[in-house]
Amino acid sequence: MKIAVDAMGGDHAPAVVVKGVEQARDQWPDLEFVLFGDVAQVKPLIKDEQRLTLVQSNSVITNEDEPVKAVRSKKDSSMVMAAQAVKNGAADAIFSMGNTGALLATGIFVIGRIKGIDRPALMPTLPSVDPDKVVNLLDAGANAESKPNYLEQWALMGSIYARDIRGIKEPRIALLNNGTEYDKGDSLHQEVYQRLQANPNLNFVGNVEAGNLLNDQADVIVSDGFTGNAVLKATEGMASLLMKQIKHALLNNGTKVKLGAALIKPAFGDIKNRFSTSANGGAVLLGVNAPVVKTHGGSDEGAVVSTIGQIREMLRKQTIHQVIEYLQTNPIK
Amino acid sequence: MTEKEVYDKVIDLIAERFEVEPAKLMATTNIKNDLAADSIDLVEFVLELEDTFGGEIPDDEAEKLNTIDDVVKYIVAHQN
Repeated sequence: MKIAVDAMGGDHAPAVVVKGVEQARDQWPDLEFVLFGDVAQVKPLIKDEQRLTLVQSNSVITNEDEPVKAVRSKKDSSMVMAAQAVKNGAADAIFSMGNTGALLATGIFVIGRIKGIDRPALMPTLPSVDPDKVVNLLDAGANAESKPNYLEQWALMGSIYARDIRGIKEPRIALLNNGTEYDKGDSLHQEVYQRLQANPNLNFVGNVEAGNLLNDQADVIVSDGFTGNAVLKATEGMASLLMKQIKHALLNNGTKVKLGAALIKPAFGDIKNRFSTSANGGAVLLGVNAPVVKTHGGSDEGAVVSTIGQIREMLRKQTIHQVIEYLQTNPIK
Repeated sequence: MTEKEVYDKVIDLIAERFEVEPAKLMATTNIKNDLAADSIDLVEFVLELEDTFGGEIPDDEAEKLNTIDDVVKYIVAHQN
């Protein structure tokens, strides 16, 4: 299994990327990597070139670049070259920590959509109230506009992913909506509800409200891209704000509180780890012809390793092939 | 390629991509309006044209390709 790596994407690239890739290489002997980047910068960072190939790329897509334009104009960038390698069959999957929009565009335009998937969706794995569980949300923002059949296709892909990668026999699928009753939401959500309920291959458990996103009400939550993105950002923002407020309160209320803070620090560390970007792997662009997975740009090498582990599982379980096969016999129009 | 050959090839590409009967397509068919193509469909189509006929279609030129006739005329004019 060969993974194409955008070595130049991310806030701490290429150092963090190389460090993570080397750890992943040491952990999984069945993985090979092709790193695309500025060889002069990347090569000195590599400690052991075993199962690593380095390919020179002359430009980088930055966070300031307009995604579609960048993918079309920066064909010599580390991200586009990595995707091209997947398209040409020289690699099986792509890993990047770079510009999310550009990676989505690269996935769609270079690697290409699966036949029968109208629009790919971005799917992060989020922590759950149950420490032993996680939840997948899709679409988390790849699409600003959504149609009913898109959401049914996403539900199907999310279900296959949860079954194969997370080992859940019959994943619970829910629809993110503004109420739990079947007739809640606008016409789009009402139609999606009917479609998901009528699909015999989905274990649809009904609507879920945003407040219950992480409350273990479903294994996969399907959303239109606009709402999914807004809910995800609000959740992340609230978690970050809460942690800051707790820290502020503990450090600014006298010596007794500070002492108490020292005592409960390990418990907070545990919560922080569970909610960190490295804990649950990366966000998958589901619906393109190969695994395209992105880790948060500011993450550490631990996130790189867990995301590569996730890609490895997708390749081992042939998740993309499962989707293609399903759609050939059960097209969702 | 002759204009007729380019036209036939473009019709094949559009019929396959947008799942339309080739017989229903004509020179005046507007890709965006008649085939309900959104921005992603259009970019994918332009990339497919580049892969099929070679060369690069600049974004400002791609924006002017409204009908099948526009596409055919552009490709014929920019053939090597």
